[in-house]
Amino acid sequence: MSSSDLAGGIDEDLSLPKATVTKLVNEMLPDDISCAKETRDLLIDCCVEFIHLVSSEANEVCEKDSRKTIGPEHVITALQRLGFEDYIAEVRDSWDEHKESQKEREKRGKRMEKTGMTDEEMARAQEEMFAQARLRMQQSSQPNQ
Amino acid sequence: MQKKYRTKFPVARIKKIMQLDEDVGKVAQATPVLISKALELFMQALIDESVAQTRAAGGKRVHAGHMKQAILITDQFDFLRETVQDVEDAPVGAAASRGGGRSRKTAAAAAAAAGEDGSDEAAEEVAAAPATKKRALRRKKLAAEEAA
Repeated sequence: MSSSDLAGGIDEDLSLPKATVTKLVNEMLPDDISCAKETRDLLIDCCVEFIHLVSSEANEVCEKDSRKTIGPEHVITALQRLGFEDYIAEVRDSWDEHKESQKEREKRGKRMEKTGMTDEEMARAQEEMFAQARLRMQQSSQPNQ
Repeated sequence: MQKKYRTKFPVARIKKIMQLDEDVGKVAQATPVLISKALELFMQALIDESVAQTRAAGGKRVHAGHMKQAILITDQFDFLRETVQDVEDAPVGAAASRGGGRSRKTAAAAAAAAGEDGSDEAAEEVAAAPATKKRALRRKKLAAEEAA
């Protein structure tokens, strides 16, 4: 994390995390091929360019749509206009998955409401559980029986 | 639904990168999720094409030059031409130009790859995908902002 990130300033060096990209690259490469570090760095730059490309186009689609918020449909239209139609099917799938997981989250939220506890009561209950767990850990690391 | 990869891009980071563009305002919560998926597909495509170059050169390690070559001969990656301008060409052998695969305009792609400096401009004009025009516009805008 850069310090300007913490200060809330704009960090023009904002990029994708190297560790994450490295892991993904290793999943994507065939077993018999490796990737030079400089290539991975170049790849990261390309990825950031891609994000800017799609965002910029999606923003234009959004404006033409007379909307203020860039939404999923704008992204899909952008991909088509940029020549990435072959991505659209899977991108739509991920949108569906996301909608599903949002529904799940809402259900879980409602279930939590049913416990009848307020946020503070739940926080206190959680703190107690942490304290008990801490105690257990301390006891197990001092086997002075 | 294929869950091909265990690793995922950080969605919050993607949103921050999007918002580096001054023109980009509000972003719906699902939007960076879709961009993340598109980015994944893009990354796989770029890696596939780069690996093809590596293999064509008889190597086992993907060098930046291989990625550069992949970018130069693939229409979809036109927007990256400037990004790889200063990248050194890979040392070994004639990387074969790929006429098929992801090239939309096969003839132009082959011409751009095999062509010497003379035919480059013509090839560039023919192959100017909308993405390249977008990059050119952005560059002009940034240059104007810097001058101001």
